[in-house]
Amino acid sequence: MRITTRRLHCAWMRGLMGVAVLASATLLTSCDKSITDLEPLPPMAAATVDAGAGNWAMIVLSSPSQIAVAAPTATTSDAYKAELAALRSAQTSVTSGQRAKIDYWAGGGVLRWNQIVRGLVARFNLPPAPRADGSYVFPDASNPFGDPAFPFATPPYSARAYSYIAVAQYEALKAAWYYKYQYNRPAPWKNDTGIRALAPTTDLPSYPSEDAVLSGVTVAMLQALFPAAVEEATKRGAEQRDAALLSGRASSSDIAAGVALGRAVATLVLARMTTDGTGNAIGTPAIWAALADSARANGETPWLSLETPTRPPMLPLFGNVRTWSMTSAELVTARPVAPYPVASAAMKSDLAEVRRTTEKLTTAQRSIAQKWNDGAGTYTPPGHWNDIATDFIRDAQYSEVRAARAFALLNMAMHDASVACWEAKYKYFNPRPSQLDPAIRTDIGLPNFPAYPSGHSTFSAAAADVLGYLFPASAESFRTMSEEAGLSRLYGGIHFRNDITEGKSHGNRVAAFTLRFARRDGAP
Amino acid sequence: MGSAGRRNGFAGVTAEHLTAGARALVLVAGLVGSAQAQSFDDAIFMDRRVLCAGLVYTREQWSEYWEGTLKRNNANIGTLTMQQSAVMGAYGISKRLNLLASLPYVSSRASQGVLQGQRGSQDLTLGFKYDALTTPFTSAGVLHVIGVASASLPTSDYTPDFYPMSIGSQSRRATARGLLSWQGHAGMYVNASAAYTRRGNVTLNRPAYFTDGQLYMSNEVRMPDTRDMMLTIGYQRPNLVVPITLTQQRTLGGGDIRRQDMPFVSNRMNVTRLEGRVQYTLPKLPGVIVHAGASRVLAGRNVGQSTGGMIGLLLAGKL
Repeated sequence: MRITTRRLHCAWMRGLMGVAVLASATLLTSCDKSITDLEPLPPMAAATVDAGAGNWAMIVLSSPSQIAVAAPTATTSDAYKAELAALRSAQTSVTSGQRAKIDYWAGGGVLRWNQIVRGLVARFNLPPAPRADGSYVFPDASNPFGDPAFPFATPPYSARAYSYIAVAQYEALKAAWYYKYQYNRPAPWKNDTGIRALAPTTDLPSYPSEDAVLSGVTVAMLQALFPAAVEEATKRGAEQRDAALLSGRASSSDIAAGVALGRAVATLVLARMTTDGTGNAIGTPAIWAALADSARANGETPWLSLETPTRPPMLPLFGNVRTWSMTSAELVTARPVAPYPVASAAMKSDLAEVRRTTEKLTTAQRSIAQKWNDGAGTYTPPGHWNDIATDFIRDAQYSEVRAARAFALLNMAMHDASVACWEAKYKYFNPRPSQLDPAIRTDIGLPNFPAYPSGHSTFSAAAADVLGYLFPASAESFRTMSEEAGLSRLYGGIHFRNDITEGKSHGNRVAAFTLRFARRDGAP
Repeated sequence: MGSAGRRNGFAGVTAEHLTAGARALVLVAGLVGSAQAQSFDDAIFMDRRVLCAGLVYTREQWSEYWEGTLKRNNANIGTLTMQQSAVMGAYGISKRLNLLASLPYVSSRASQGVLQGQRGSQDLTLGFKYDALTTPFTSAGVLHVIGVASASLPTSDYTPDFYPMSIGSQSRRATARGLLSWQGHAGMYVNASAAYTRRGNVTLNRPAYFTDGQLYMSNEVRMPDTRDMMLTIGYQRPNLVVPITLTQQRTLGGGDIRRQDMPFVSNRMNVTRLEGRVQYTLPKLPGVIVHAGASRVLAGRNVGQSTGGMIGLLLAGKL
């Protein structure tokens, strides 16, 4: 007996010790803390240079030559030869740091800037904190470093920012392509055998430099949209130009002409942006009260902020902001039908579904809710779709101008979806599930604006349609992702199913207007 | 994690931290009749083949937290309560080498706002404690030099991406602790220890996140390591132990919670906490030990200023 007990005891001990030792050993030996980059952008050359892009349809500019770019000096001129000599000399002492910057930007200028913009959106996507007296101060563009910082990069603000940056880049690159093929100046590494190409090359003419165009136009756009980040943006822009030069892809005059063109295009695009109505989108206390009164007058339960202290609704007049591809009349025509009346059986059924779902949330459902949460502090749902698009644009090895087109179309559709969705949200001013049933607790943050229709669903359906147009082989997977993004809001406990269903078809209708433009823009 | 190492949740909010809070618990009474608590960070040892195991309940609450270094409240959380019930055990492999284990079940709840409370089985911690050296030190007492090695592994799929409601970090951890204990013949004792905890990466359900000033295009989060230092002054009698402990924990990296942002799993969570305990062996039931304690966070960064209480019941006996 005694022996048996002891044997059992030893086996039990050995088992426990084994587990502990194994666990510690595993931990201490697997001490690699590096994290996987899910969006690597290795140096690449475009699969095709898109030589005809100078003739693709313009969006803001009247023509690709609206901004004049003077002819470059001849490659036989002393001035140009001096540029090449300086470049040859600079290439003799390329540091590993410079090499890393060349590789970084050789991953694609448009792609890199898109990543940078997503980072800025996430950085600035924070709501103002309440003051001690329970009031909120709105971000002030003239005091961007204050508390609150400017901007609060909400989903509408960021959808607009992504779209204006992408459109400005697209316009500037089409103009650049126009002049590149008008002047046909070969890249420095082609003109001078003493100059090495330190990044993958194509036959794209180098005047004006596409990298410099991008840096000029993007920095100017960022200065307006994220003024507190101007220093960082300026630094990145300079890095991009230095990389273009040092890699043998552009000479200093290619770069000077590119920066000037980029900045001039930004000025034109900013003229449109700064008068698009966003400045008035916050509204006033009287306007907020009128929204609730209007819902009550229709016999409905108006939306209430569930935050404490009560926070004003997010951008109630954003529905008046200028769209890219829809007229105001089309905005109304495309608007979803009214949501279920709060007292209706259909609404009660939807409400019960939200409660049931949140009370019995599965691990898989929670994962989906978190995957698509894209709430405060993140790059927002439009940023998530830019993230998704990036892999496809990279893998397709798009030229800079074609990459810009893809982001422009995607983000024009999402901006229009944002305007259309906000127009509908404040038209109906419908409550969130937790307002109608306080027992509903959410597994993600509760957005501070009306529920119907679901913004995630609208954004995602519109984005999936545009990406499906650009990458038809993956259209079905984009649709699946978009459906999942919509449903994530039910799992999170912040949307009714009807918000999602109607938001999705609304997004499809909005994307059709973008695609109407895309199909006729001259890009093969 | 008795590796008290991890006492740094959002405000004492995290279970990791609670777990640590609930450390102690294992009492040795056994046939010997002397009640002593044993945890991953004290100087108590079970005799050979003595097993002490039981349940410890801990409750911590905060209504103010440090957003970075800014102390504030948040009406959309109100008071955050973390409750933990932990199964704990200690076993004497020999008089100088003990095996320790703990497994807490943790739940969170916010008194205001709409955020869903979380609950679940948290992290299993297993460890060894070794009394490397025992020597007389001064005429009044004995000095022990003790080493503790432990590892913690998450036991369920609780989410690390919902702070401050998250009940833990989902990080696998390994802790090494060195402890000096001077035990006076008259009952006074002083423990001083330092620990380093290595923390494994955490995986989120999303493809990107922003922390510490930049956007990471990854679902993996690099978790900075942590260290802690503890100083305990206590008094012990055969049936009674009363320790008072000051703990300072530091996360060696990580970003601050941004203004009006939610906390993030890899935040630089620092905390300084004072804790008092009483453990008592029932005179007529020498294998039954009860435990009670209270704690208060004195200072912190990216954590809540929690106030906590704990109570435990342990049974000890020789196998």
